[in-house]
Amino acid sequence: MTETLRRSPLHDRHVALGAKFAAFGGWQMPLEYAGGGVLKEHTAVREAVGVFDVSHLGKARVRGPGAVDFLNSCLSNDLRRIGPGKAQYTLCCDAGGGVVDDLIAYVHTDDHVFLIPNAANTAEVVRRLRAAAPADVTVADEHEAYAVLAVQGPRSTQVLAGLDLPTEHDYMSFAVAAYDGANLTVCRTGYTGEHGYELVVAAEHAGAVWDALFEAGEAYGVRPAGLAARDTLRTEMGYPLHGQELSLDISPVQARAGWSVGWSKPAFWGRDALIAEKAAGPRRTLWGLESLDRGIPRAHMTVLRGDQPVGEITSGTFSPTKRLGIALALLDAQVGLGEGAGLGEGDVVEVDIRGRRSTMKVVKPPFVTPSVR
Amino acid sequence: MIPEDLRYTDKHEWVSPLQAGATVRVGITDYAQDALGDIVFVELPEAGATVEAGQPFGEVESTKSASEIYAPVTGTVMARNEQLKDKPELINSDPYGAGWLIEIEPADPGAVDDLLDASAYAAVIEQS
Repeated sequence: MTETLRRSPLHDRHVALGAKFAAFGGWQMPLEYAGGGVLKEHTAVREAVGVFDVSHLGKARVRGPGAVDFLNSCLSNDLRRIGPGKAQYTLCCDAGGGVVDDLIAYVHTDDHVFLIPNAANTAEVVRRLRAAAPADVTVADEHEAYAVLAVQGPRSTQVLAGLDLPTEHDYMSFAVAAYDGANLTVCRTGYTGEHGYELVVAAEHAGAVWDALFEAGEAYGVRPAGLAARDTLRTEMGYPLHGQELSLDISPVQARAGWSVGWSKPAFWGRDALIAEKAAGPRRTLWGLESLDRGIPRAHMTVLRGDQPVGEITSGTFSPTKRLGIALALLDAQVGLGEGAGLGEGDVVEVDIRGRRSTMKVVKPPFVTPSVR
Repeated sequence: MIPEDLRYTDKHEWVSPLQAGATVRVGITDYAQDALGDIVFVELPEAGATVEAGQPFGEVESTKSASEIYAPVTGTVMARNEQLKDKPELINSDPYGAGWLIEIEPADPGAVDDLLDASAYAAVIEQS
């Protein structure tokens, strides 16, 4: 079955920039750009500023009396910990504690919340929320109505200032602003570990904002950055990617995402299963691995201690910042690796890389110190 | 970019004409380096190793994946590009020059003439 890939409103600009494209969650999105490449784009974000088109991300709007309370009874994190103007990382779990998707919730008012799920999972998240919503709460899928531009890096503030956009709000908060007649939500969020912003703008205004960001950013070494660099950046931070570190088979307890669960809430999807798993201790836990030789670990490779398989890599890459192979891996709690087992951080394991053994050290992510604030 | 004076394989290696009548230089093509993306690690056999036409002799690894490199001809490795250990990015920036991989003394010097010429290789890329 072939499916027509959806395209960003900025597609023509990516083509003009010589982008290589790849399919992400049903969308054709830029992987890297001509004259750039993963390493240059990654370094631009760590040292200057990069602009990502992440318009493939889902957008859904929940409106109606008690929208926050309704979502709080479904999603894992406690929306009552934040107020209007704030954003929160949260999970949509199933009854068994598996993760349908991870998403960001932006609270506008008690009766209005904007959600950014992953591209591939948006329809399913919307379906589940609609099925559960009271009659006067609506869940609108606005996937193609908006573009999302992530401006990330130590120079991101100067770039946004060049467009007279607000920049001084706190991490995980947002401001509603305007640029050249277009309404924008300027969120202090990102997926790179750097200080940065995510701009949500109506699709028809995305091109003008994109162009203005590059004009304002020229003096600061701005580069367009593709989703390949986004992946190396987030892996260095140990941020989970749904489908790799979180899935219907990988619970937040296993993925060490328990901080995004409101454990004291009376109700949310997957509550009983997650509380039981937390109490019993997860059968596996997410760790970081750092290569001690030149091996570069990749997703689905087996982690070994001696001849015994002790886990599986969920994401692996070459770290452009550390110049070595890094990975996130689910390690089995039964073999003494894991929280409270006396072994764990600092342990040496091996990874089977295409028939050869590479030696890796178990570490606690992030691999690179974040500077999001 | 497909230099006219080189020979090629359908697996995207290039081979130089015989140098000093004895050895050929081998690398990967511009098309191959572009498809791989930023190369971060290269593994090559040492001088003295033998390689067999069509068989893998080494590996190049980019940020996203690892790929085997295949010997274009059977012969003995006479040298490898030691610069690539610290500067694997030379393969991206100069695939036909400073980014060469190894030098081989072919068992049969005539074997090089059986490889693809530039126009035949261009046709291979066209179809891929």
